[in-house]
Amino acid sequence: MNAIELSDLAFGYSERLLFDGFSLDIAAGEFLGVIGPNGAGKSTLLKLVAGLLRPSRGSIRIRERDLDGLGRREIARTVGVVLQENPFAFDYSVSDVVMMGRNAYMGRFQSPGKHDREAVSSALEFVDALFLRDKRINSISAGERQRVVLARALAQEPGILMLDEATSHLDIAHQQLIARILLELNRQGKTVVFLSHDLNLAALYCSRVLLLDRGKVVACDVPERVITTELIRSVYGVEPIVTRHPESGRPQVMLPGERHQTPVSKP
Amino acid sequence: MMQRRLLPGWVGLILLFVLAAALSVAVGPGGFSGTNLSAVMNLRLLRLALGIIAGGVLAVVGASLQGLLRNPLADPFTMGVASGAALGASLTLVLGRTAGAFAPVGGFAGALVTMLVVYALARVRGRVTATGLVLAGVIMSFLFSSLVMLAMILGRRTLGEAVYMMMGHLGAVFTGTTVWLFGVVAVLSVAGCAWLFSMSRSLDIMSSGEEAAETLGVDTQRVTKTVFVISSVLVGTVVSFTGAISFVGLIVPHLVRMLFGPEHRRVLPGSFVAGAGILLFSDVLARNVVPGGLPLSIVTALVGVPFFIYLLRSRL
Amino acid sequence: MSRCRNRTQTGRGMKLSPGSLGSRVPGSWPEGDLRHPRHLRQLCTVTLAIVILVAGCGHRPAPEQGLKVVSLVPSVTEIVYAVGAEKMLAGNTNQCDFPGAAKSVYKVGDFMSPDLERIVALRPGLVFVTLPMHRQLLEKLNEMKIPVYVSRPAGIPAVLKEIDTVAQLLGRKASGESLVAAMRRRLDSIPAFADTPRVYVEISGTPLMTAGGGTFINELLAGAGGKNVFESSVQEYPVVDPEAVLKVDPEVILLLHPDMSARDVTSRVGWGGIDAVRHGRIYDKLDEDLLFRPGPRIVDGVVLLAKLLHPGH
Repeated sequence: MNAIELSDLAFGYSERLLFDGFSLDIAAGEFLGVIGPNGAGKSTLLKLVAGLLRPSRGSIRIRERDLDGLGRREIARTVGVVLQENPFAFDYSVSDVVMMGRNAYMGRFQSPGKHDREAVSSALEFVDALFLRDKRINSISAGERQRVVLARALAQEPGILMLDEATSHLDIAHQQLIARILLELNRQGKTVVFLSHDLNLAALYCSRVLLLDRGKVVACDVPERVITTELIRSVYGVEPIVTRHPESGRPQVMLPGERHQTPVSKP
Repeated sequence: MMQRRLLPGWVGLILLFVLAAALSVAVGPGGFSGTNLSAVMNLRLLRLALGIIAGGVLAVVGASLQGLLRNPLADPFTMGVASGAALGASLTLVLGRTAGAFAPVGGFAGALVTMLVVYALARVRGRVTATGLVLAGVIMSFLFSSLVMLAMILGRRTLGEAVYMMMGHLGAVFTGTTVWLFGVVAVLSVAGCAWLFSMSRSLDIMSSGEEAAETLGVDTQRVTKTVFVISSVLVGTVVSFTGAISFVGLIVPHLVRMLFGPEHRRVLPGSFVAGAGILLFSDVLARNVVPGGLPLSIVTALVGVPFFIYLLRSRL
Repeated sequence: MSRCRNRTQTGRGMKLSPGSLGSRVPGSWPEGDLRHPRHLRQLCTVTLAIVILVAGCGHRPAPEQGLKVVSLVPSVTEIVYAVGAEKMLAGNTNQCDFPGAAKSVYKVGDFMSPDLERIVALRPGLVFVTLPMHRQLLEKLNEMKIPVYVSRPAGIPAVLKEIDTVAQLLGRKASGESLVAAMRRRLDSIPAFADTPRVYVEISGTPLMTAGGGTFINELLAGAGGKNVFESSVQEYPVVDPEAVLKVDPEVILLLHPDMSARDVTSRVGWGGIDAVRHGRIYDKLDEDLLFRPGPRIVDGVVLLAKLLHPGH
């Protein structure tokens, strides 16, 4: 079964269409990396799939059900989303924040039940943030915050997880931590869609990579066939050096060398 | 969750409220002199009721708007409703029919019109964003304020009393009709506050941003529109009777958040009690400290600020 | 204090947000009057705009021989007509409406914010102003060395004196004297009354506003044999708590704002026990110009009040 099916999608923020006749299938259990230059439509695609934007034409199916026919709460129970920006206007506690992920399971006047509390605990545990549970969300580090937001998405118990630039502002330790968490989630059967500017991280962890440019699929295949010198050059306009990762064999991209001026010694 | 800290906070707020209510009824410039005991009592009880509703509503609406707009500086007048109410009331002035129920009804009509205009302005392709509402509200605020000035000039009125109205007051003179009207307003106010309370969780979630809230299953459009309409109606009705009492809607929610944390299911009811208590207390001071009384907004500021500073410092 | 009283009623629920009035005016505790300079300025600007718009409709009077006067004070305008010097009147304000002929005189603007340019363009030999309303204008006129007479009578004797003075300034000494004499006779004909009823004067309904001891209406009440219950107030037009009115239990209530009727007062909650309400001695729809303009008709005002306060005389 396909986790996500996009058929003949059309969408534009203004008169000009960004996507016009866009189609894509994402199989269940995939770990899909989505890369592409700024403005390629990565975030837009995520928002379309999450139901935040409406396409002007075409259909989106999640687990073989039409997105249109799904209520907001049902979508929330199926798809967990981690957006790029996560501001918190008020200083909720970490466990409060993660509990917000249980919203789609609770009635309007219902209080969190045992299962909700367990879901929150196990989500926090999974991202190794259980020790943070009583802290205030605005008092923890960026890396910790990212894990908490991820835990919130996990508390939704979704089958599909979509993340937009989840690691872009984190140190490499956290980048690895998050990537490993996602990998483990994928191994446990979750479909993961990972939008990133970090070509190497995507290549290292993802099972397939989707390269987007100006609303079009340039390539959607295993990393070896997408992260190539020709494709990177043609889409990004830089002259890359593509090598193989010494341990896993996945392609890794390096920028070409720069000639640096030797510093002039001062008299 | 820190349950143990909450009880003293609630006890404190309720004590404040009861004390303020008692003072409000017991102390006043009229004094009790045998013959007019029941008359003065009536006036005081009406004033008490008005104070509870006004203080409670302003604080609850302030808290809800701060949550919805994700802005700790939002207050009940952010969306321009008070200026609309002022315009409505001043038009009744110009038409020369301010006696009895006309002024509150005029004010309320003005508030409703403002609400509709702001809503229409903020709507883009069927969607309404919090930012859009704020911008439209601010613009309407300026426009209506200017129109009020114009109405005052063309109607040949002085602004002296208008200044007093800007400061808010609980001294509305009630007639038989307006008491009934106020009764309706009181019931609506409580219902409106209850409705806002029922949206506590959604408001909590929306403080993380509208998009994030949508992904968590919150119908942000419904929440935004509902909160906007309820707030406008509540503020419009209260302002028709009391003028614009400032400070309560802005500061009380912060006080309550300091005591209970940011969760709306505690902040909203807490704000109602705290808002009513602080407003009544300010009114007692405003009426009795200086013969003739001080404008209410000045006192709410003088009372609220030190209290706020005290709480702030005890947290740091 | 002499001024033309503009009937005011307040609008409920007014909030003038920042940007329109500058800011909510702090500490500008109202004296029932438009005195705050910031308000004046704002009012000036808008009035200026309106006046400029209306300018085409006005007309310049033909230049007269002799003294040209401009009256910015409606009560003094009445004096000018009463002493027969109306030919000298080159301009007055929108609020100068008595006698009827005064309405068709060239308007230099509003009583509250007259247009200096219009005044100066008339090249007047004398301008009648009042304080504190025209304070800034007065400074400018002084700078321009335009002769000014400041009208500010504090009581009935002062009004009589002013009529004399104005009449002399306009070369109408005899008319002035006979007018004053007639007014004195009428005043003297008011008998001394046995009782002095307690009177509550209501200037505004929301909020409740009354006239204090330093006001003109206070003087009139005294002259008509009544006692202003709020005479002891320091403020000129203080806001009063409804409870305070209950406490003083007035015997007569005078409604000096046109929108309120006697019936509205009787239907006020808690007011049923007041002496005046019980005996139905609430008087509304009074001609306020008689009571607020310190001019020739002031005696009419006193007589009116006397009749209301002491029916049967």
